Parts: sequence; structure tokens; C-alpha cells
Amino acid sequence: MRKSWMMAGGVVTALLLSIPAYAETKTVTVWSWFIQSTMNKSIAAFEKEHPDIQVKYVYYNYSPEYITALKAASASGSLPDVIGLQPGSLTQQYRPDLAPLNDKAAASWGASWADKVFPVNRKQMLMGNPQGDSNYYMIPQESQVLCVWYNRKIFDKIGLSVPKTYDELKAAASALTKAGYIPMFQGASDGWQNENVFLMLANEFSPGIVDKAQAGETPWTAPELVSAMKAWKGLFDDGIFQEGALGAHAYPTGAQLFAQGRVGMIALGSWWMQESKFPPPLSDYVQNMDGFDFFYLPAVPGAPQASPPVGGIDIGYGLTKNGEKNDAAWTFLASLTNGSALQQALNDLNDLPAFDGHAPQGDVSDHVKRMSARFMQDLSKAQNQRFADPKVAEALDNALAGVAAGSLKPEDALAAVQKAGASK
Amino acid sequence: MNAPRLGGTTIGASGGTRRRFLGSFANYAFALPALVLFLMFVAYPILWVIDESLNPADGAGLSMSAYSAVLSDSVFWTALWNMTVWGVITIPVQMAIGGLIAYFIERHTFVLRGFFRTMFFLPVVTSVSVVAIVWVQIYAPYYGVGQEYLKYIGVHLSNSPLGDPHMAIYALIVVNIWQWTGFSMLMYIAGIANLPTEVLDAAKVDGATGWRLGLHVVIPMLAPATRSLLLLGVLGTLQTFPIVQLMTVGGPNHASEVFGTFIFKESFILNDAQKGGALSVIVLVLALALSLIQIFVFGARLAPTKGEA
Repeated sequence: MRKSWMMAGGVVTALLLSIPAYAETKTVTVWSWFIQSTMNKSIAAFEKEHPDIQVKYVYYNYSPEYITALKAASASGSLPDVIGLQPGSLTQQYRPDLAPLNDKAAASWGASWADKVFPVNRKQMLMGNPQGDSNYYMIPQESQVLCVWYNRKIFDKIGLSVPKTYDELKAAASALTKAGYIPMFQGASDGWQNENVFLMLANEFSPGIVDKAQAGETPWTAPELVSAMKAWKGLFDDGIFQEGALGAHAYPTGAQLFAQGRVGMIALGSWWMQESKFPPPLSDYVQNMDGFDFFYLPAVPGAPQASPPVGGIDIGYGLTKNGEKNDAAWTFLASLTNGSALQQALNDLNDLPAFDGHAPQGDVSDHVKRMSARFMQDLSKAQNQRFADPKVAEALDNALAGVAAGSLKPEDALAAVQKAGASK
Repeated sequence: MNAPRLGGTTIGASGGTRRRFLGSFANYAFALPALVLFLMFVAYPILWVIDESLNPADGAGLSMSAYSAVLSDSVFWTALWNMTVWGVITIPVQMAIGGLIAYFIERHTFVLRGFFRTMFFLPVVTSVSVVAIVWVQIYAPYYGVGQEYLKYIGVHLSNSPLGDPHMAIYALIVVNIWQWTGFSMLMYIAGIANLPTEVLDAAKVDGATGWRLGLHVVIPMLAPATRSLLLLGVLGTLQTFPIVQLMTVGGPNHASEVFGTFIFKESFILNDAQKGGALSVIVLVLALALSLIQIFVFGARLAPTKGEA
């Protein structure tokens, strides 16, 4: 009996002694659409470095769950400490709930920290801020460069080389179709993939013209943009995109078919490399990205040049007003965007870093390292991929779908975008 | 006559009044939790949305501008047309197919009755995401499941109906009918199971068999199930969202827009809470009006009453 009492006393004492340790543990709450498995690795690395901080991550599917959850939480003042953000409209929508990060970033990384952020990312971080507001409300974690991926094994098999001209692209699409492959998969049901291809085309006619149109310096009905819209229709009419592209989705359909070796080309971006880090079984093409390489869209008829790299921030994070009161929240955000937690995401090949000076480490093939280095080099001169005003992006999505379906003329479609831009 | 005694106390007229009052109070008290939940989760959100629809983001005071913006937006009329087409096609087709399946299962299957019931009901309990992925693949030309079968009869799809502005809404309606016919079947199975056999036997004795029995005896006796399906079908039509959002996002170029996707876009993508709120109120009024019309037409007899199947 006495022994039992002594044991019970010991347990109580141990519990009491452990209370201060629990009391010192700080908790950071994070919401995002960032892939859960990779985020778990980032959190594990961070918590190892900071045993006194516990990160609670909630994953949401981006649309509709994440944007709905953010809106409800914002209205009720219950946003978590750190939230995943896209530059432009999403960041601007929650700007009143977000803390400016300039001072915290300077304190952590030095006064010239912003110089280490790729120029296109820096531009996007301020996108949509009111005139004179130079605060950063989000810190980018990952960047991306848009490109056309191709299956190099299929290309070798049917004697194709990387297309350098539009005629070569058409010939490659035709050869792929004849050989029973899908030429270039376009998930034209998804506005985002249509926007990406249009940005490639528009920048072929005049680099930076979409930014000028967004800023109101050039009308959306400018001849270069009309030419880009005609070229967009041409990709459907010339058999470069697969038949029925307008009813297709890039994810999961296009990505699965591409990974299985049934597609010759697809317009995606640097994030495609992450497929090689997904759990097995992986196809021979996806294994170490052996089957894939990328190129930029060749000059379409009338365009003076091939598409320059287009890209920018893939995902960034903001510190909410709630998180501003929690020192641990910034510590995690800093690690996630420019520290050990980021490194885990890069090792998973999730995408490119937003800050210069990082590279994937660990089990990464030479082929992937070379592609990653090429992307990083191109990122430093990339054109902006993002839209500041969701109304413009929405109008452009509808314009692209209407032109592709043949229900809108390019000029009329772009006039609708101009109208949406003017209604701000 | 002696007054009733309770616990040794005589209860007079005033005691009876008090007891009646307490009794009726207790009855209302039982409804209180439901009332509180209704006020919190239905009434308050509706009032909040109405308030949102009348208050511009710039704080310029009460305004009906969002309502006029909605009514002058061509996308609203496209969505209204699509909803009308959706309801007019899906509700009767689902009822007809569901009723036929129910009749044949209940009258002509014996050993495998449970199997057929389960199989036809399976799409109803399948995740909308799965349904969307499967049907996008079925519709896909030249690598799709549908194309694989069609090639045996020499048909080559050159476009997905989901990408055709004139076809997209009908392609979605087909998916909806496929998914929800099992629900109509289940309702009719319940109705058929409750049909009084003596009436059916009497009809048979009078010479009603086959289609005549079905048209003139079974279908009229299943009217309560039909009325319920009609009401649920109208409300379900107005609530249509996930299948459209997942398969076409309302496109191409708004061709398959429905109220759900339009409200979502305005409220969450374009962040125009006032216009999204106005749209929601209009849809709410529409749903209320359609429900009242049905109650008026059917005399509130939307559920089986005593003596009905």
C-alpha cells in the first residue's frame, strides 16, 4: 500500500515538474493550401531547431475551401497566425488583416534583404498596394517559371527535336498525333493554364505588355495583345492542343496522362519537378524526371521572338494581426521562406526558392539539378505572371475561353477585359 | 361532480388554468432549442446577407445598386436560363427513370432485389469529386472512356461537350441525372412498398394490367412521392454548385454558369460581397416563391397523408 502511495506521489511530482516545460511551449497556427506532406517535413525541421515552438498546420484545398475559410475567419477575427498567400488580389484582399513585414525581415536578414529576393517576386510582393504604400504584407516562399514540358523519350522515339519555330512546333504536334500521342495537353477548363499560355504569347509580341495593360499604360485592345489572342486561337486550330482541350483539366487529367507517357507536351512550370518526389509507384518518365525536359514557347507567326521566361511567386506567407502578437509566428514564417523549413520544401522539389542562394539538396539527380539551375537563371529575368485585379483575371479567363470556343472575336474579347479593368 | 385530486390537493378552476398554461409553456419550451438553432444558423445569416447586399463596401449608406447591377448583368440571365433548363429537364427525367427502375426492381426482381437497389443508389452516395473526374474522362475526346466505346460504331468525338458553349449545360445535366436518379428510385421504392395490395388486386380483377395498371393505378397512388420529389428537385436545382464548379467552373465563358457558381465567383473570387449578397437574396426569394407556389398548388400535401401510399 505504502509502495503504491509512493509511486502515485512520484507520478504527481513528475507531472508538476513538467508543467513549466509545457507552459514555455509556444504554438504557431498556420493555414495554407501548401502540400501537407512537404509542410510536415518543413515543420519537423523547424521544430527540431526550435524545440520550444509547436506549429499547428491546417491544409485546405485552395478553391473553394481555403478562400472560403479565410473569408469566414477574417470576418470573425479568428485568422491563424500565419496564412498562405498569392501575390496581388489575395494578398490585397486580406491586407487589413496583415502586418507589414519590412522591419521584421530587416531585423532577421539585414537591411538589404529584399535584394536577395528575385526581382519579379519583389515586384509581385507590392502588387496592388495603394499608392505610396511600400510595405510588404507577404514574404514569398517559392517561385515558379512557366514553360512547355516535353517528354524527351517520346520525342527521341519518333525522331523529334525541341521545336525552335512555330512550324516545328506544328510539325511536332502533328507527328505526335500520328504516333497516337496527345500533342500538347491543354486543360482549357482551367483559367489559370489558359492565362499562363496567353502570358507566354503576349510576352512574345511585346515583353511586359500585360503589366502595362494592368497598369492602364496600354489598352487591353492593343494590337500586340490582339495578335496574342489570335495566336491563342491558332494553338487550337493548328492541332497543337489536343482535340477537346476546352473541356479538359490540367489536374489531375493532364498531369496523369503526361506522367504516364501519353502526352508529348504540356504548358506547366517549374513545379512539375516535384512529381519525381511523390510516393511510389512512379512511371519511368517521372523517376528522377528522366523522361522530361522543358523549353519556352517558340515565336508564333508575327511575333518577333520566342517567349521569354514568365513567372514569379508560387506561394508566399503573411503574418496576420493575430500572429503579430506571437513572436514565434514570425520565427516560423522566416524559416519557412528563407531558412531550414524552406530547405525541406526545396529538397522535395516543390518549386524554386523565392530568395536567391538556395538550391535543392539530398537525393536529387544531376538532370534535375541542371534543370533547376536553368530555371533559377531564367527566374532572375522573368516577366510577371500575376494579376493585381481579380476582375481582370476573371475577364481574361472568359475572353480566352470564348475565343477558343469560337464564340468571341479576339478584339471583342479583349474589349471586355479592358472594360473589366476600367471598372476598378 | 368532485374536483380532481392531485397529491391530496383539490385542484379548482384556477389550478386547471395554471396547469394548462404550464402545459402549453412546456410544449413551447420543447421547441425552444430548435428555435434558437433556427435563429442562429438560418435567420441571422439571412439577415446578415440582406444587410451585406444593401451596404456598399465604400460605406456610402444603404443602396439597391447591387440589385440593379445583378439584374443588368447578362451572366445573371444566363444562369437563370441554365437553372430553368436544369430544373425542367432533370426533375421529370429523374422521376421517370427513377420510377421505372423502382417499379421493375420491386415488381420483377426477387433474389437480386437488394443488389439492384444498391447498384442504382450507388451514384447518390459517391463523392461529387469522384463523379466529376469520372465524367470528365468519359466526355474526353480521343483518350476518353466514351470515345473508346464510340469508336466501335465509327464515331470520333472531335470536342468535349463540356468545352462547347452550346452543349456544356446539357452535358452537366446528364451527369446530374446519372447521379441523382437513384434518389428518385429510392423514394418510389418506399411508395411502391406501401401500395395497398388489395387496391392493386381489385384493379387487376377489373382488368387493369401492364401499362394500364401502371398509368391509371400505380402512378396516381405514388403522387405523394412525386410531389416530394418535385419540391426537393426545385430546391436541389437552385442549390446546384459542386458538380458545375468541379467540371466546368461555370464556363466556357459563363455558358454553364448556375446561381451557385455565380455567387461563389462574385463573393469569393472577385470579393464583391455586396453583389454576391444581392444574388443570394434573389435566389432565396426565388426559392421561397417556388416553394410557396408548390404548397399553394398541392395544398401543402407534400408528404404522404393517412390513407395515401
